[in-house]
Amino acid sequence: MNTILELEHIQKYYGNGGNITKAIQDISFSVEVGEFLGIMGASGSGKTTLLNCISTIDTVSAGHIFLEGTDVTEINPKSLARFRRENLGFVFQDFNLLDTLTISENIALALAINHTPAGSVEPRILEIAEKLKISDILNKYPYQVSGGQKQRCACARAIINNPKLLLADEPTGALDSHSSQMLLSTIQSINAQLRATILMVTHDAFTASYASRILFLKDGEIFMELRKGSDSRSAFFDKILNVLTIIGGGQSHVC
Amino acid sequence: MYAKLVFRNAKRSVKDYLVYIVTMTICVTLFYAFLSISSSYYNPDIGSEYDFTLLSDGMKAAICMITLLLLFLIRFVNHYMLRQKQKEFAIQSIMGMEQKTIGRIFFAETLIMGMISILIGIFFGVFCSQFITAMLLTAYGKPYEISWNLFPDTVLWTVAFFAFSFLVVGIFNTHIIQKTKIITMLSAEKENEPELKKSRWISVAVILFELITVWAFITGIQKVWFYYDSRFVLPVQLMYWGNILFPLLTLLWSAFCLIKKGKKNMLITGLLICSVLNAFTAASVAALTNKYYLPLGAGMLNQYLLFLLIDLLFFIGALIYLASSFIVAWKEKSPEHRYHEEALFFFGQITSKLNTTSKTMTLICITLVLAIFLFIAAPILVGWASGYLDIRSMYDVQVFSRYNDVYEEKNLPQDNYEIITDFFAAHEIETVYDCTFNLYLPKKTDFHNRIKYDFPVVAISLSDYNAIRKMLGYEQISLGENEFVTQWKTIATGEERNSFIAEHTSVVTDGGTLNISEQSYSEEAMGESLYNSYTDVLYVFPDKICEELLPVMRNRYITTTKNITYENARELGRLFTAKYPEQAESGVAYGVRFSTLQTNSAIANNFILQTGMIYGAVVLMVICLTVLSLQQLLDAGQYKYRFSVLRKLGVEEHHINKLILKQLSVWFGLPIIVAIIVAAVVIGYFIQTISAEISAYIGLTALMLQIGATVGILVILLLCYFISTWVIFKRSVNS
Repeated sequence: MNTILELEHIQKYYGNGGNITKAIQDISFSVEVGEFLGIMGASGSGKTTLLNCISTIDTVSAGHIFLEGTDVTEINPKSLARFRRENLGFVFQDFNLLDTLTISENIALALAINHTPAGSVEPRILEIAEKLKISDILNKYPYQVSGGQKQRCACARAIINNPKLLLADEPTGALDSHSSQMLLSTIQSINAQLRATILMVTHDAFTASYASRILFLKDGEIFMELRKGSDSRSAFFDKILNVLTIIGGGQSHVC
Repeated sequence: MYAKLVFRNAKRSVKDYLVYIVTMTICVTLFYAFLSISSSYYNPDIGSEYDFTLLSDGMKAAICMITLLLLFLIRFVNHYMLRQKQKEFAIQSIMGMEQKTIGRIFFAETLIMGMISILIGIFFGVFCSQFITAMLLTAYGKPYEISWNLFPDTVLWTVAFFAFSFLVVGIFNTHIIQKTKIITMLSAEKENEPELKKSRWISVAVILFELITVWAFITGIQKVWFYYDSRFVLPVQLMYWGNILFPLLTLLWSAFCLIKKGKKNMLITGLLICSVLNAFTAASVAALTNKYYLPLGAGMLNQYLLFLLIDLLFFIGALIYLASSFIVAWKEKSPEHRYHEEALFFFGQITSKLNTTSKTMTLICITLVLAIFLFIAAPILVGWASGYLDIRSMYDVQVFSRYNDVYEEKNLPQDNYEIITDFFAAHEIETVYDCTFNLYLPKKTDFHNRIKYDFPVVAISLSDYNAIRKMLGYEQISLGENEFVTQWKTIATGEERNSFIAEHTSVVTDGGTLNISEQSYSEEAMGESLYNSYTDVLYVFPDKICEELLPVMRNRYITTTKNITYENARELGRLFTAKYPEQAESGVAYGVRFSTLQTNSAIANNFILQTGMIYGAVVLMVICLTVLSLQQLLDAGQYKYRFSVLRKLGVEEHHINKLILKQLSVWFGLPIIVAIIVAAVVIGYFIQTISAEISAYIGLTALMLQIGATVGILVILLLCYFISTWVIFKRSVNS
């Protein structure tokens, strides 16, 4: 298997002088092509900081991040935007759709920004909409569709440029349980059918159970790693809950 | 502690207040500059023959009227600041600060900003008042010197006026802050989320437009029914039928759309075209009536000008309403446009904003048209009036009489107006030239001809005519045996003159028939009282012939060695009117004009008119630009989110900056371009209708200069607002 993303001793500090907060202590891991990786942890464990560093929205204090061999931390700030749009796809908790554009235009914008020839924009939108089952809402505005549909539109926008890595930050955070389930199946099928590499941050055990491997963060360090292997999803879910119980506080914390 | 908070806040948020400060500074500058004229310390050297009090009272009244508009603006800008700060207020109240205190802190902040604006404004005001002094002294024909004066009473007035407005608005704002619930303040930013629905005002506008069209249609039919004549020339016939046809077309199109249940945009696009056609035919009524003296019935011109106005207003409204549809159509037309980089985002931004604010945009556009029109019309009207003044007051004293209401020949004026000679002797006023003369009717039988358009042309004897020419410094003329020449008013056009001379190569008089001389006319300005009522021409006959004609009017023109003082002129005027009333019992109408009095009142009135119109125009422009700018900034919270999405999608910073610039350009550009187009048409029409007066009294260069000045001021104001909006916009999007 090929490694697509590799993190080497990432550290991230906030503040200065004697008042330093270590958001990420020392994290190293790698992601294989086509993997569906989940990152879990409580609030303040550093998972969003980690995602921001990988997505080049934030910079690391020390360490290196390699995406297909390119050192992301060394890219010239002026070329960052270009790097992001060509290599990464994003799905956010609050959708981040533009309310002035229709669903189809929202997806088209991602293509247009990437200088896709005008003629091939519409066929590609139809194709992806078909896969994500949003064909019938393409001409509606975001405020006219449900939260689940919005998030599927956001997914379509994120993967339409065939990014090397799809980053999802709490994608089910603003959805009800039914919509969450549908969206997660969608993401899973994106992973399985399109061979897309996905990195998903969540604090919800059910959401995480769709991933094939999970990293648990605690206080800016990797606390534990869990692989799904051949387990069924419910078995994997139970394992995740167990880990969470341990992270949430062992015997020593109670006293 | 609170004081510290106020100062820190003020210092930190100076950029947030940029639009507030710019607007307030411009208001104060204008207010100070124009008010400084009425200051009691203001004492420009305009000479003893002029009286200044008339002007300063008039100025004060004009400024007060226009200042009411400023109050609206102050209120609007404060409202915007309040909206901007709501979230901050919410956090302060959650922390436990009393809402009363928050209100006071906000009040203190705005007051500090206001005071800064007053200081800067007065500083610029001193500059600007120099321009106004320059204008004033040029108006009175005096040399101009720059003097840097700060007038205590004007400063006091300015500070008092603005402090009072701040106080009133501040109390109002404090009250609002106290009454608002915390949750409303917290969600204030979300309030601006665009409702992507088009507003309904256009439906009301369409209904009103249809009603007016019905009225225009009925009027058109009436006109044809009562006044139409198949002998009219083609343009007039077209005008008559056009005024029926185009309103009918408008109504038929609406009916068609109603029956077909067509889309609203289709209806409005049709009406937009119809409004242009209607405006064209309505405008032609005034132009053609002037040219061909068409009989149309009383008040008809005003009615058609009203139709024209309504058509133009509807045109502006419909055009702006449809602007977003045009953009969408353009977008749909080609995928190249649509899918070119961030074009989709840009179209989304513009159409959503246009859809929700087309009413405001229309109002702004109409106000801008008004402002531009005021700006350009002010000097035309003033130039007209003062040009007319030069022609009217060519003599220091001018006595004239009219026989319009005299029905017996024995009652015709015979007097030599000795009262003036006596007064001059008593007051030691020396005369340079003094000429008393008669104006004669060529044919006695014309004496009873009193039809307005058929008034007889009167004649003057050659010796009197030459005496007056000498008085004005013109060359003498001579006439052969049985010859005559014509003398023309400045207002008469070459066309009129040529056709008159062609028809009157010989004149039959009671003293024999006269033929026109080789040099058939003279058109030097010789005053307005030299001609008979309703005529623009005067015959000059040999003295011998005049002796046999009936004298109907008796005039006396005098020039003096020194200008008659203002007081003397008033006194003599009173004495003269007592003896020779404006409507004497015999039926003769006497009149006396002193150049001193004429000049004084004309200059003062013109000046008030001009400064009033210019002040009004600038204030209106400032209002429009402020509203435009704040419309964008009010939504900055919304925009921050949208641009952050773009950034996350991987759009480079310089692309985002370009998008912001493009968006603001369209936002400011659209109403200004529409306004300039409509204003150009209106002004073109206006200039066309009074082109004779313009070429006679103003001159093309002066007009062009004025249009240049208007464009200059508009550009400066636009730059001020565009740049400050841009700075704040970028700041709030990038923060």
